[in-house]
Amino acid sequence: MNELDKIPVRQEISVAQGSVKRSNPLANVFDELVRFCQSRSMFMLHYCTGCGAIELPPAMTSRFDMERLGIQPMVTPRQADILLITGYVSVKTLKRIILTYEQMPAPKYVIGICSCTVNGGMYWQSYATAKVLKEYLPVDIYIAGCMPRPEAVISGLRDLMGDIKSGSASNWKRYFQNYDHYLGNQQKLFDEDWQTPTDIIAEAEHYGLITDQTLGEHTALLQKHQQPLEALEFSLGEKREKIRGENQ
Amino acid sequence: MHFLELLVELLLMPILAFVIGLAMVLMMRRIGARIQRRVGPPVLQPIYDIIKLYSKDTQISHGLMHEIGIIMAVGGYIAAETLLPVPGLDGLADKGGAVTLAYMLMIPALGMALGVGQCANPNGSIGISRALTAMLAYDIPFILVIFGASYVYGTTNLAEMISIQQQQGVSSWGIVQMPLLALTALLILPAIMGKHPFEIYVAPAEIATGPMVEMSGKFMGGLFVMQCFQLYTAGVIFTTLFLGGGVYWITFLPKIFLVVAIPMSVAYLFPRYRTEDVLRLMWKWPMLLGLIGLAVVMK
Amino acid sequence: MTALDTLLLISAITVGVALLAGNWRVGGWLVTILYALQGAALLMMSGLGYSTLTVVQSSFSIEVLSEQLLWRFDALSWFFALITIGAGLFSSWFASGEWGERYRDNGGSLRLFHGALALNVFTMLVLLASGDLLTLFIGWELVSWASFLIMALAGGKAFGYAMRYISYAFAGAMALLGGLLLIYAEVGSFDFQSLKEAAPQMQASTLWLLVVLLTSGFGVKMAILPFHLWQAKAYAQTPGPGAAFLGAISSRMGLFAFIVVVVQLIGISRLVEMEIPFTFLDAQDLLAWIAVFTIIIPTYIALRQHDARRLLAWHGVGQTGYMLLGIVIANDLGSAGGLMHVFNYASYQAMLFMVVVAVIHRTGTSDLNKLGGLFTRMPLSYLAMLIGIIGLAGLPPMNGFVSKWLIYRSLIVDGSPLLFLGAVIGTLGTILSVYKLIHNIFLGQLRVEHVAVREAPLSMVIPMMALAVIVFVTGYFPGLVLDWTSAVQASIGIPVLAHHLGGVSMKGGLDMIWIVSVLLIGFGFGTLVFFLGGRSRRVHQLDNYAGGHFLTAETRYHYSDNFYPGLMHLIGPWYRNSFEWLERGVISAVDTLSTAMQGLYRNAHPSYLLLAAVVFALSWVIV
Ligand code: SF4
Repeated sequence: MNELDKIPVRQEISVAQGSVKRSNPLANVFDELVRFCQSRSMFMLHYCTGCGAIELPPAMTSRFDMERLGIQPMVTPRQADILLITGYVSVKTLKRIILTYEQMPAPKYVIGICSCTVNGGMYWQSYATAKVLKEYLPVDIYIAGCMPRPEAVISGLRDLMGDIKSGSASNWKRYFQNYDHYLGNQQKLFDEDWQTPTDIIAEAEHYGLITDQTLGEHTALLQKHQQPLEALEFSLGEKREKIRGENQ
Repeated sequence: MHFLELLVELLLMPILAFVIGLAMVLMMRRIGARIQRRVGPPVLQPIYDIIKLYSKDTQISHGLMHEIGIIMAVGGYIAAETLLPVPGLDGLADKGGAVTLAYMLMIPALGMALGVGQCANPNGSIGISRALTAMLAYDIPFILVIFGASYVYGTTNLAEMISIQQQQGVSSWGIVQMPLLALTALLILPAIMGKHPFEIYVAPAEIATGPMVEMSGKFMGGLFVMQCFQLYTAGVIFTTLFLGGGVYWITFLPKIFLVVAIPMSVAYLFPRYRTEDVLRLMWKWPMLLGLIGLAVVMK
Repeated sequence: MTALDTLLLISAITVGVALLAGNWRVGGWLVTILYALQGAALLMMSGLGYSTLTVVQSSFSIEVLSEQLLWRFDALSWFFALITIGAGLFSSWFASGEWGERYRDNGGSLRLFHGALALNVFTMLVLLASGDLLTLFIGWELVSWASFLIMALAGGKAFGYAMRYISYAFAGAMALLGGLLLIYAEVGSFDFQSLKEAAPQMQASTLWLLVVLLTSGFGVKMAILPFHLWQAKAYAQTPGPGAAFLGAISSRMGLFAFIVVVVQLIGISRLVEMEIPFTFLDAQDLLAWIAVFTIIIPTYIALRQHDARRLLAWHGVGQTGYMLLGIVIANDLGSAGGLMHVFNYASYQAMLFMVVVAVIHRTGTSDLNKLGGLFTRMPLSYLAMLIGIIGLAGLPPMNGFVSKWLIYRSLIVDGSPLLFLGAVIGTLGTILSVYKLIHNIFLGQLRVEHVAVREAPLSMVIPMMALAVIVFVTGYFPGLVLDWTSAVQASIGIPVLAHHLGGVSMKGGLDMIWIVSVLLIGFGFGTLVFFLGGRSRRVHQLDNYAGGHFLTAETRYHYSDNFYPGLMHLIGPWYRNSFEWLERGVISAVDTLSTAMQGLYRNAHPSYLLLAAVVFALSWVIV
């Protein structure tokens, strides 16, 4: 089990990194408006693991109708704002979840539904289950319960909406800012040559979210194993580029 | 000055199209919700969605063509709107008629197809292959409709079609003159708009929304904008060909909203068709109706 | 010496220089410069293209059978010659640089290649200059042999396809000869003018025979249905730029001859009078329907190809249908469309072939299932192909749209919904097929083995870009080409299309300057809207949603094979190869016949028999 002091504390970061410049000109001018729209239009990728998924259909359909709140299901991470983890997460599944999470465009939010995502729940003793979701991903909202009712899910989503509106839902930045910590936990679970197709460090650099905690021993390990994944650039001449697999 | 007036028209037409399109998107989602006994999204939901998508912090691009594809998709529609005469605004209707418009509308589709291709995601490519096949399916009856209308009005100029129908009253409306062709157009309308039950090419659960699989942020936002234009265009074309167009917005707007509402109300009642069934369906009933309709109008 | 003499002389010199110097390093460039000189000579006659000159005579002529053999250029010849020389110029330019060196290193004879190309141009010019039916036939035969030569260059399989072509060409030539003899018997002269005067008095049955014979004779070269089988494979196997040249213009010679003899001399109005008994159709309708099936069937065959060159070559067959359709409709819109399509088609078909050859040059394959993602590696070639496919598919803003628009519009004016439907079905099929072409080559996943691929060399890119500019500019200002087609219309006696620089001046007309400008401005606004959003970040092609999987470069993550499964599921069973079957039937019938006659002639090969027959017939006519 992790020691308490290893878990990054939220306030520290928001104080140190509170003034990260948004790259978006529109966002600078109409920050309020943008945050309001973001809170009123949430596309969720319901990554339906475990049992909790069964509570989502009623939340979406005629009884509770999430679309009233501007929440819609989407099927690809590229369009999603919220990643819903709806239950226990096995180690294999966690790999997919992380891959998917990293492919979502920021700002992105993770909601852990069900007690199993909080602390392992009734799968506590399982060798194949990842217990505490927030060790691997920055979770914004937990909705506990075994399993929570649609009302609870919706109220959790409303909490998130409030957070987004007030601008305090910036947990996604922590993934970039503390990448080393999250990557370390992931490596502990998967293996040291664990790698995802998304180049998180480059992305953090691109959006100016690098801190002294982004890079560390774990990212060094990653870079040792990782085959570089740079975007394909135009070439008219001899320039050679490395893509993964070239040295095979 | 005449030139300035035209310039204002050209600017105004796409903007109007976009605003009306937004309302149409809302209406469509509301209708869908009501059929499923839900409340549906709030009034400004389409705007929230678009602003949200454009203001995403991460915008993932798969390369230059991905970006140009979206630009072509939006820009092509912006250009096409100026060919669509609406009350008070004729735009460029006399520079290219119905045939030109039909082919102009393929430019956004082509742009999107190219953009999706660059994403290197097979789901996207599968989606495009299905979308193009669907286009082959509905364009054949559609072209019969265009031909029939051009034949009946004796012109391919959309503005002239409107003035003919306006001057001679309801009895000269396309829907009275060529009811079978109007029915054909109505049957293929959901396919043109890419809506239920002809949305096999987006198939969320199977191919992860097909062409949109790699579209995020402003890319997706561009496609949302394009959807507004798409609904508006479909409504206006049908109204122009069959419902007498409009001299005043007050009579024109209900018509175009009605046109879009009809297929939307029926759409959710049917399960989704497979690609080959779309072809089979489109080449059977609308085609048959269209041919009979043509035979009737041409005697 | 007239301008035409100069032109033919330079062209003949080009053949000589190509044969002498073709193998030298500068040989190709020399030949290219000579093509440019031919173009200059042609421009000396540019009055023909603007109706300020009606005819340019050649001072060379011979007397045979008390017939004066004449060579001369009119607006029609000038228009076709322009395209021919342009195609020759760009193909030879393309071949002169790295492509030629590679070709020679691989054991090909550049001397033969350039010689064959120059010979093709020369013989075509001779055909285009023909001033009576006899010179037409002589030119026709020369062109057939020249095309055979360039098709057979690659040897092996290509030789087989070329043999197939020459068998078809012989059969066509026989039909043509029969037609000419019939004319001679009826009119008593090979003169154009006397045929024109005699045509209105001819009996319907004679005319029918004549039209069938001539159309099948010319149709073989055009590869209209049912003579379409030879073309695609033969063109696809022709070495590199040769294919671009053949694809662009070679089979247009059939169209040229068709226009001269059937449209200009016999006259479409005469065809309309020729009713087919027991149907509502007349000869014009029959031809129009042949044209429409020539559009549809080859286009959908192209859709099934997975070799880029074959795909293009089959589209070449299909596009012929549009030209024929427009010309057979013969009103001012249709014929302008058909003629303009000859020009437009040549411009983008040559370009598309060049792109494919450039891709082969860099990657070694044109198999659509083995390519992908080359956009980032060959962006200029991609641009050329994009412009080319928009043209081929007939979408704005490229020139292909204008000519197709004219043809559609003429069909609406004519009130022929089914022909219109057929033409549109062809266009839609083309869109499907060209998207597959560009997607499978340039979009999608870049393969590991192509990571180091570079843009094609300048000697290839410049001709492509030049053609791309032509395709775009003549789409923006179609009046440039419509001037020439109007001159042609005036000279062959078809109503002239009222046009201006931007397109067609009529009610419900077309103004491409406005359309294209608005489209470009629309793209501009699209860009603005696009950049309203935040800064985008380019990601690697493997950073791709794959249902939560991590892809590696070894995973071929590219959707290419059987690109339209849904469509093929439905229409797949409709492909029955019935024409192949028919061809085999005819071949075996001829085979049996010749085996039976073997004892008599001691020779089994049907083509030799045909050759002997042609030589005999020729000598009988000339001596
Ligand atoms: S909390 Fe209960 S319902 Fe939810 S996943 Fe765990 S066991 Fe299943």
